[in-house]
Amino acid sequence: MNAPIPYQIQDQTCWISPQRAIFWENQSTLLLSDTHFGKTGHFRKNGIGVPQAVFQEDMQRMVDLLGFFKPERLIVVGDLFHSAANLEMDLFAKWRKDFEQLELLLVMGNHDILGDQCYQSNQIAIHKGIFQQGPFQFVHEPMAFTEHPDSGFLFSGHLHPGVSLSGMGKQNLHFPCFYFTKTTCILPAFSRFSGTATVKKKKDNTIFAIVNHQLIEIAR
Amino acid sequence: MLQESKGYGVISQWLEKKDFHPFEFQEQTWEQIMHGHSGLVNAPTGCGKTFSVFLGTLIQYINEHPKNYQTIAPGNLQLLWITPLRALAKDIGRAMEAVLEELSIPWKVGIRNGDTSTSERQKQKRKVPEILIITPESLHLLLAQKDCSSVFAHLQWIAVDEWHELMGSKRGVQVELAITRLLGMQAKKKNKISLWGISATIGNLEEARQVLLAPLQEEGCIIRASIDKKIEVHSIIPDEISEYPWAGHLGIKLAEKLIPIIEASNSTLIFINTRGMSETWYQTILNIAPQLAGAIALHHGSIEPELRAWVEDALHAQKLKAVVCTASLDLGVDFRPVDTVIQVGSPKGVARFLQRAGRSGHGPGEISRLYFLPTHSLELVEAAALKQAIVENKIESKDPLLLCFDVLIQYLCTLAVGEGFDANTIFQEIKTSYCFADISDEEFKEVLLHITQGGIALNQYDEYHKVVLEQGLYKITSRKIAMRHRMHIGTIVSDAMLKVKFLGGGYVGVIEEYFISRLDPGDVFTLAGRNLELVMIKDMDVLVRKSSAKKSIVPSWNGGRMSLTANLGAILRETFNKALVDETEIEIKSLRHLFQTQAALSKIPRDNELLIEQIESKDGYHLLVYPFEGRQVHEAMSAILAYRIAQIMPISFSIAMNDYGFELLSDQPIPVDDSNVQELFKTENLFADIQKSINSAEMSKRKFRDIAVIGGLIFQGFPGEHKKARHLQSSAALLYKVFEEYEPDNILFRQAFRELMEQQMEEHRLRAALERMYHSQILLCFPKQLTPLAIPIVVDGLNRNSLSSEKLEDRVRKMQEQLSKS
Repeated sequence: MNAPIPYQIQDQTCWISPQRAIFWENQSTLLLSDTHFGKTGHFRKNGIGVPQAVFQEDMQRMVDLLGFFKPERLIVVGDLFHSAANLEMDLFAKWRKDFEQLELLLVMGNHDILGDQCYQSNQIAIHKGIFQQGPFQFVHEPMAFTEHPDSGFLFSGHLHPGVSLSGMGKQNLHFPCFYFTKTTCILPAFSRFSGTATVKKKKDNTIFAIVNHQLIEIAR
Repeated sequence: MLQESKGYGVISQWLEKKDFHPFEFQEQTWEQIMHGHSGLVNAPTGCGKTFSVFLGTLIQYINEHPKNYQTIAPGNLQLLWITPLRALAKDIGRAMEAVLEELSIPWKVGIRNGDTSTSERQKQKRKVPEILIITPESLHLLLAQKDCSSVFAHLQWIAVDEWHELMGSKRGVQVELAITRLLGMQAKKKNKISLWGISATIGNLEEARQVLLAPLQEEGCIIRASIDKKIEVHSIIPDEISEYPWAGHLGIKLAEKLIPIIEASNSTLIFINTRGMSETWYQTILNIAPQLAGAIALHHGSIEPELRAWVEDALHAQKLKAVVCTASLDLGVDFRPVDTVIQVGSPKGVARFLQRAGRSGHGPGEISRLYFLPTHSLELVEAAALKQAIVENKIESKDPLLLCFDVLIQYLCTLAVGEGFDANTIFQEIKTSYCFADISDEEFKEVLLHITQGGIALNQYDEYHKVVLEQGLYKITSRKIAMRHRMHIGTIVSDAMLKVKFLGGGYVGVIEEYFISRLDPGDVFTLAGRNLELVMIKDMDVLVRKSSAKKSIVPSWNGGRMSLTANLGAILRETFNKALVDETEIEIKSLRHLFQTQAALSKIPRDNELLIEQIESKDGYHLLVYPFEGRQVHEAMSAILAYRIAQIMPISFSIAMNDYGFELLSDQPIPVDDSNVQELFKTENLFADIQKSINSAEMSKRKFRDIAVIGGLIFQGFPGEHKKARHLQSSAALLYKVFEEYEPDNILFRQAFRELMEQQMEEHRLRAALERMYHSQILLCFPKQLTPLAIPIVVDGLNRNSLSSEKLEDRVRKMQEQLSKS
């Protein structure tokens, strides 16, 4: 496991992991976004043969993170499942049973279209709109809600942020990233079977690029 | 004997009445067809090549039905006429109908392509016409019908028009596969199909015949029309040529020079290499010559079918003075009134140049007149080279494609949607084609596995579903998957188009992914006459807001990626020998100033020399190499050179290329000097270096896109299933990444690599090129500024490759440091 780096938000301590997650230490909460579980299965069911190993790796990475941080609660800020239910749900359910003690909260995203029954049977608490916990708020789409600096720091996903770097000699590199402003954070998509939307470094934001298994803060 | 047959008598009487005299090659073709033979007719357009095959089939039919050919129609499909272009179909159909009517043969002619209406299709289904003119895609769609074998039950003749255009492309492979099936359907019956190709002249006609006739497993013959076509080529020379080739968008500036040419001609076709530029040209010509309004039209692939048809009809009827067009009017349509062709920008190859010239002056004995208008001044050298090539009759070959598994996968799914297929029967059939002659049992098994099990899966958690085995037949049973497959039949992959929408809703238009992916949020571009600021790209939508910015980027299109053929490259190198030495040719003479600048700053390479320039600029350190081998070869060679230099020390390159040379650009000095430069071109370890450089430069990525679309991995969505379909969308780049990491053995992923190895990085060809350069005199120069030869490469570097031997983390840190310094 590559070392996460500490990040202080107000008086709270968070750890940013290059495994595409944030650990909120004070509340023992692990935060993920856009896991898109079942995406490979959805493609395969429709005759598009993408390798399921991506899904397996995503699950494994989540298990690793849970083993490392040992959180009491997992919050996914949307798009936990990619589409309608498929057999990959079974692997997810199996994992869920292994971590029965873990509290799991889904802040609903646009891809979360499963019936309530599905969430209940997997002990997933669901929340629509903004979820508030202590000084923090959680929502799926960052654009859907204007910033309320008074009501707390806002975590979101949906965008799949990525950052482009360019250097001398017309060199260009592109990485998924964590995107922070003073009052918000957009998480990278947890699923490795996902693209990115480019965000830009500005004066008042902080970007951590995920470079191989390291986080590198982007200066400009 | 032909002359004694009843059919010949009928046809020649009819011709005589019209005062037509058959050409020798036509009679030769008739004779062959009469005897049920197959072959390839080589004739230029406008010389009755259609009649050579078509009248032949009529002669044979009359011979077989001498008494009742005028009274009873067979009522089923006799002649299948495969043509690559929709625009051709109507034309040929009309000509055939006229003949049939005058001969009182009660046959029907049907046209089947993307423009055919549903009601027309239904009509054809109820009663199959005797002649069906069809595109390769529509032919495969027919094979996807449940009753397709009954449609083809009585087929006697297959004609493949413009075979030179199809061969060497995946559409050609589609035709090969369809033919194996059509022949396979007849295997148990008595009637033997005779198969005819029609081709313009290419360098490897013999091979073209072999490829087409392979499934018949018979030799066949080639019939050549000995018709000498006179071609006149004129270059349009700018009044003033700057020292730099790209200064001032030469092309559009020259538009004024077209007006007198258009006015002096009957009808003119103006060929533009890309769709985007064709719009610009059309507007420009209207602006400078408003008197042409109404007499000039635009024709390209994304124009509505009705409008295209109107333009074609108006051309026939001589209602238009000029048509601005792209390759959409490239092939075989005989617009008699057209007597002049203008080619804007380099056609990149001798064969294409001749093809376009041949659009004018159709009648036997008439002269084809072509004007060449350069878009940058160096293209004048290409014009001189092209003229030379025509004199020497150096026409390119078209290399047939081998083992295109993406096309095979699509084809097998097509059959599975249709009547289903027996694996062994189809395996034997496809092995008769030239493309799949060498497919191994293992490879075929792998393809079957791919369509039935979809590669690597997690057993009990998998629901892969596409093709299933039912009572010995491979079938697609899901209606949804079948429908989706039918929508995706075809091998022409256009660049993905994204919808452009305003943030607050409201649709603006579509734009190519290639263009938009190079913009950053905040950039302003022009579309549909509006300046738009890019906000973000989400799913397949581009979200924008209105912008009042004065400066904006005008979309560029992909068409310019075409590569100069190796053939033309060699002639081009020789043409440079004449620079500043032999100015008999107007093109060379007019470039004197530019050559002088090049010679003063650096050198002008002669054909036994290899020029290498090292230049430092604000962008970094440039190493420019000028092999004049064409863009394709340069892409391969630049990767190998970059790889070899990167072995000397950790270094990162951004690589650009054009038809004349390539550029390696780095942020640090490039360790190449007199002591090691020759070594870079050595041929030892070439094979290993090729493989490693392909991988390091991720060169197969671009190939993979087409393969993924043809092979059914990329789903583009269809109307009425918007929402659900969105969950199935992914970009080629993402799929490439996923396969590279998790399933590099995938048959389609491997094919991208193989295509690159075979078509572009072919060891044999690269070895010869490197050998030539190794033994050339290497001129290593250090110009103080970018030279006339360098500028087009450095400026036109949109399509860059990259290669690095530095650690990713180190590169990021270095970029950060560079930024904080500046």
